[in-house]
Amino acid sequence: MWLLAALAAIGDAAGAEIDRMIVRRMAGGDHLALGDLYDRHAHLLFSLALRILRERSDAEDVLQEAFSQVWRQAKRFEEGRGTVVGWLVTVTRSRALDRLRQRRAQPGGIENFDRMAEALPDPARALDVHLATSEAAERVRSALAALPDDQRVPLELAYYEGLSQSEIAAKLQTPLGTIKTRMRQALRRLRDALEGGLS
Amino acid sequence: MTDVFDHDALRELVPLYGIGALSGPERKAVEAHLDTCAECAAELRAYAPVGVALAQVAPQVDPPATLRTAILAATRPAQPRARTPTSVMPWLAAAAMLVITAGLGFYVGTLQRRIQTLEGELRAALVRVEDSERRVTVALRAAADAEAPLAVLTAPDVRRIDLAGQAPVAPAASARAFWSRSRGLVITAANLPPLPSGRIYQLWFVAAPAPVSAGLLTPDANGSLTTTLSTPSNVPNPTALAVTIEPEGGVRAPTGAMYLVGAAM
Repeated sequence: MWLLAALAAIGDAAGAEIDRMIVRRMAGGDHLALGDLYDRHAHLLFSLALRILRERSDAEDVLQEAFSQVWRQAKRFEEGRGTVVGWLVTVTRSRALDRLRQRRAQPGGIENFDRMAEALPDPARALDVHLATSEAAERVRSALAALPDDQRVPLELAYYEGLSQSEIAAKLQTPLGTIKTRMRQALRRLRDALEGGLS
Repeated sequence: MTDVFDHDALRELVPLYGIGALSGPERKAVEAHLDTCAECAAELRAYAPVGVALAQVAPQVDPPATLRTAILAATRPAQPRARTPTSVMPWLAAAAMLVITAGLGFYVGTLQRRIQTLEGELRAALVRVEDSERRVTVALRAAADAEAPLAVLTAPDVRRIDLAGQAPVAPAASARAFWSRSRGLVITAANLPPLPSGRIYQLWFVAAPAPVSAGLLTPDANGSLTTTLSTPSNVPNPTALAVTIEPEGGVRAPTGAMYLVGAAM
């Protein structure tokens, strides 16, 4: 099931077209279409939410919110602005980061401190990459694995922790300009890898 | 810091915007710029898949099986409900209500008449059913009456006893009886003299040590009768059947004249 989602996520043209058809059905009020969309992408979105929040119950809540929002806003989805899976990832990530920020705003006990410490990326650890075995997915995995830590860590802090570039610079005690440059370099490598170029 | 958002500064932010890593004024500035700058819009399209790819880098975990059901239940559209006519003017609504009320009144009247008709039909039907039941009861009784002599006549232990009229009281009378110890007795008689008032014919099993009553007989106006009697099964073996004339209601032992006699052996 999630292999399909992975293929669509990487830009598989057929998958993207199937997604658009599903969203059109949803816009027409076909509630069964939401189930189809769930079957195609829930695995990817749940994994993302869990990676951000590190708690299953929170990830489940986020997925509930995300799919409810997608169901309500299906009519407003503009096909020219991007892929459906891109939209789903954006909605889910945004909801998950909102929840993460709420959690951080709570008075921090030891438990909260531990959770935040756990959420920080470990610079010595290679990225967990469990992608579909498609060629495109393999390219992404290779590109990410090839990133030097000083590029990968700021990217992870931005994407999974929702930190701003200034916050990342402060946390890593690195000048803001350097952080910006490294993040741009990291993103360019990933983009090139997705386009089939050498990373 | 990006205090001034010129094209070059914004273009550098587009990749971060593409993965959703911008917020606040930077995000708003990029969004506004994308509407007017084709170059940056193209740049965004190139970076959009990166955001999805980063989602895929997360360790892949299956959501719980119950989550799908929960999400579909939470988003399922409510059943369409009747809309309230908010735009209808009040007097129009009132007029509509009047029409509906009048219509309902007429309908109720029609219903009441219909109910009365149906009640009448129901009563008639019940009377017919009652009558039918009565007829069935009579028929059943007749069938039972017919069945009793048949049962006697077809009994394996049935015995035929012919009775002869006795002079001088009933020289012309005659009778024939069929008796089964287990099922009873059937007797047919003819030419019996009319009974004086307060008297009745009584049939006897003539047996030792004393005669035993087999029942009372009432002939019709022609002196004929056919009747079935249930008789005691413990009667001693009779030597004969006899008919005497006795006081109305019958007696324990024969007292009157003998009108008919027939040997049972």
